Amino acid sequence: MRPFETLDYSESGEIAEIILNRPRMNMQMVRELTAVCDHLEDTSACKVAVFRGRDGVFSEGIDFEEFRPDQGMDIHGFNKWEKLCVRIERLPKVTVAAIDGIVRGGGVQLALVCDARIATERSTLQLDEVHQGFLPGMATFRLGKYVGLGNAKRLIMQCPVLDAEEATALGILDEVCDDLDIAVGATIAAFGPIHTVSVALARRLLNESYAAPFENAIGNFLAAQHRAITQSAFLETIAKARESGE
Amino acid sequence: MLSNRPRILSVGTANPPDRYTQEEVLAKYRMPNKMVRSLFKSGHIRTRHLMLPEPDADGIPRETQSELLAKHRKGAMMMGSEAIERALSPMGLTTADIDYLAVVSSTGFMLPGLTAMFIKHLGFRIDCSRVDIVGMGCNAGLNGLNPVAAWASANPGKNALMVCCETNSALYVYDEEIGNGVVNSLFGDGCAAVVVRADPMDERHFAPRILGFVSHLIPDTWDAMHYDWRDSHGKFAFNLARDVPYVLGTHAETPVTTLLDTFGLKKRHIDHWLVHSGGKKVIDAIKYTVGITEHDVRHTVGVLRDYGNLGSGSFLFSYQRLLHEGKVRRGDYAVMMTMGPGSTVETALLRW
Repeated sequence: MRPFETLDYSESGEIAEIILNRPRMNMQMVRELTAVCDHLEDTSACKVAVFRGRDGVFSEGIDFEEFRPDQGMDIHGFNKWEKLCVRIERLPKVTVAAIDGIVRGGGVQLALVCDARIATERSTLQLDEVHQGFLPGMATFRLGKYVGLGNAKRLIMQCPVLDAEEATALGILDEVCDDLDIAVGATIAAFGPIHTVSVALARRLLNESYAAPFENAIGNFLAAQHRAITQSAFLETIAKARESGE
Repeated sequence: MLSNRPRILSVGTANPPDRYTQEEVLAKYRMPNKMVRSLFKSGHIRTRHLMLPEPDADGIPRETQSELLAKHRKGAMMMGSEAIERALSPMGLTTADIDYLAVVSSTGFMLPGLTAMFIKHLGFRIDCSRVDIVGMGCNAGLNGLNPVAAWASANPGKNALMVCCETNSALYVYDEEIGNGVVNSLFGDGCAAVVVRADPMDERHFAPRILGFVSHLIPDTWDAMHYDWRDSHGKFAFNLARDVPYVLGTHAETPVTTLLDTFGLKKRHIDHWLVHSGGKKVIDAIKYTVGITEHDVRHTVGVLRDYGNLGSGSFLFSYQRLLHEGKVRRGDYAVMMTMGPGSTVETALLRW
């Protein structure tokens, strides 16, 4: 992979780490994160991808520098961003947002598409887009599933700054910690043993759970379950159970 | 090399005039079996075009094998002529311009076959080359498109026509068996025709090139779907094994991966998926094994809802809907995928 400017990418054992190098997201960061997704899907043997910020900022959201109202406004960049969010949401890896500091706007959106969200005590979260006259992307679709519709309306329309404790109480964060590295390590350990097929299928069914009617969801579940039980991970589980005489 | 690849230049479809909701079929005949009735009410299919017989006084329709075969011939003639006209007329072609005719069908055995019947009645030239692809089931549209594309490549500038012609109501057997209930509640009648040609002059047409095919047979499941003679009924009957939709789904990923690898592509590069509308379960299975979304199968699901399983031409109805949607762009890739007896998964790659 070519070196990135807007992020640092590294792999250690089964864990890939993506550090966002600038506080605000520009199109170059979107392109580079997309290239990271290509790598994670196509070549990387890692089972976990951890997203981090730097210098007390996870991400402050979209960079307004690139907008040129005099040349007309279009939706293209937002579309690219949403496609990236879906890519990350569907990665065949366990994804973790490891947060230390400020999370705003698109930073919150990125955290919401991860499988786990852990933050240090000093962290704050805010979806501030509506106060700035635009919309918090498909957080309008995802946030309510975490916090319920009433809370989602408050967070998106009133744009309060949540501290890490409040965000945890609402269900946006999984955990507040003192030492981020230790907490991230413990979370990754809790996901293990990671079977990428069952992880991806379970996550997909969960993501679809509020949108699909039950009649469709049960069909989807049966199809996914058939795929899961024909994979080596489940067949090994059966073999072990037989050996131990269960 | 790519410029020699044939293009699908147009598509036409047709169905018999009578259209039934599932409730209307249930009301037409006496079907007391609750399991069979619930199959009709599952909701994934709303309407189907069918050539249904009137029931006897006891509410039971009785058709002999020879009547079913006559229906196969009549359905092919009626739907085939319409679908062919609809595929040819936008191109300014007539049947006399066709140099190679392939007819795909599994709903009745005829000798001479449907190609000879179409040539006799529909104005094809008597020197038109022809092939009948008979008895290969729902997947056969791609088994047919493969040699049609090869013929077109070998004969640049010449017009090939493939017609997938399935009068599935000529397969119907009425009894209290769940197996026949599945068949009678699932399959609909329909025909799809496509014009295929390899001609550098066709660059001006917004039409996809056929880049390649990959097949995948699952020999362990060769009897999972079969159509054979029943002495008890005095006719042929179709049978589907219970788990076959999921088994097909499990195997669907392999040919897709092979197909895409051949062209250095990943699934994310595929803009459109044209999957056979085999039934709700097999569509679900393919979503979760190939890893495609509800949006990717929107036409597959829509064709199933509006027509039922149309057999070999079903994926071409989805193809037609994709074109009508108007979202295809130059450079887009599509994967066509059909599944059927063998058991088999057939795939093809297209690029606009």
